[in-house]
Amino acid sequence: MVELLLDPKIRLWVFLPIVVITFLVGIVRHYVSIILSSQKKIELIQVQDSQVMIRARLLRENGKYLPRQSFAMRRHWFNNEETGYFKVQKRPSNAQNPMTDPGMMTDMLKGNVTNVLPMIVIGGWINWMFSGFLTTKVPFPLTLRFKPMLQRGVELAYLDASWVSSASWYFLNVFGLRTIYALVLGENNAADQSKVMQEQMSGAAMAMPPDPKAAFKAEWEALEITEHRWALVTAEADLLLQNNVS
Amino acid sequence: MSDSINYEDLGINEAFDLIRKWRENNERKFSEWVLVWEKIYKNLDSRPNEKYIVAEQLLVAMLDQHSYNLALMWLELLLEQFPGSLRVMRYKALCLEAQGQYDAAQYVLDEIIKVDETNAPARKRRVASLKAQGLLSDAIKELVDYLKRFTADMEAWQQLGELYLEAADYSRALFCTEELLLHQPHNHLLHQRLADIRYTMGGVENMELAKAHYCRTLKLNPNNLRALLGLNLVTNNLLGHYKSSGGAKRKEVWKLSRWVHSELGRRQADAHSLTDLMLAISIAD
Repeated sequence: MVELLLDPKIRLWVFLPIVVITFLVGIVRHYVSIILSSQKKIELIQVQDSQVMIRARLLRENGKYLPRQSFAMRRHWFNNEETGYFKVQKRPSNAQNPMTDPGMMTDMLKGNVTNVLPMIVIGGWINWMFSGFLTTKVPFPLTLRFKPMLQRGVELAYLDASWVSSASWYFLNVFGLRTIYALVLGENNAADQSKVMQEQMSGAAMAMPPDPKAAFKAEWEALEITEHRWALVTAEADLLLQNNVS
Repeated sequence: MSDSINYEDLGINEAFDLIRKWRENNERKFSEWVLVWEKIYKNLDSRPNEKYIVAEQLLVAMLDQHSYNLALMWLELLLEQFPGSLRVMRYKALCLEAQGQYDAAQYVLDEIIKVDETNAPARKRRVASLKAQGLLSDAIKELVDYLKRFTADMEAWQQLGELYLEAADYSRALFCTEELLLHQPHNHLLHQRLADIRYTMGGVENMELAKAHYCRTLKLNPNNLRALLGLNLVTNNLLGHYKSSGGAKRKEVWKLSRWVHSELGRRQADAHSLTDLMLAISIAD
């Protein structure tokens, strides 16, 4: 098989521009999202709920280190039928339509403007502008299955799989520049596309605020079936055993 | 070790590294600050990235040395850069508090809380300011109110436990310390404190629980001498209680008591030999 030779101009006018463009777009995205970002206002009641949940979970996990009476007292505070926290506190169910909440709508819009839109626009533009080039070759042989990944836009059946097309090179850059962004912009920057992808993968359920009513119910149930076994019953025997006193 | 640092010869970079270390470890080195602060503030402008975070640190250090005017200078700098920032407002309250103007400080903190209800540090600061004024019951009330909202704040539970101990309200202090134990069940100092409180409260049931906690303390840290001595007191007390009833319980306590005695004797012998050793050294000197 004859080795392919790439025109050096491809390097100058395709390979490097794609790197530079993706990098600069990432930087711009970072600053645009900073401008658009709105401070999320946390409600006091939300803080209270989440902290109570933490406390209930701790009681479930480590309650065995407390004497029975202390444990029962705390569980009573959470679970008592008439006065327990999980029974008394009534939270409005949060399963409302996000479309009715204008604050949420703008948040979603901002997310789309900074994340999805550039991806489509720039991706489409790169696909159109630099279509059909082979840009580089990975320095190791690859199996045929990599062809659709690395040679998007170049449908040649007999081309070696280690050649990378321009469109694929763009995608490699989008996901591979993360560490460079971390260097230039610091940690937790908004330029990173892969994080956005992850969020989209995990589904819309995560984005919705958790329903405190359901969470309370679950915690109430878990606490109700927790059995108290005092862990310090054997403390004395353990100590003596440790010191070989019989 | 920090003691071995020669502050005179410290380079600028080293000085900044040092205070970064203090900042990250939350260390409050007020006597050391005097030695480095001149180097820091003269070179502050050469470090735009760190400038304001160091300014915060300098502010607190100046308050520690009661140099109120210098502290106010840093506050001005921060206010100029971040007008309306709640974080800077908190430092303002801190400055006022350090100068004893508690009412004005309370006012500033109230303003912060009005703007941001969830600002936990400001709420805690209010408690600290009440405590500094010696208003124990007010501080307790405020802190209880805080804990109703932020139930998982372990620092606050610890503080409340200490305040209750100060007020000699042992059963409530016990509750707070138990709350801490839920968070860190393997902290020997917490077990020891619980046992201390139970012993102080008295009664056979509490003694038994104190015994269990002391035993767990000694298991977690065999070198906890306070727990060993506490266990000695507890077992003596229990032996007195069980004198009449007798039976298996007394026997067990007796066994434990024997062990504690032998352990204490061994420690004492060690301590004696150590003092002997130190005496020998001092004589040799």
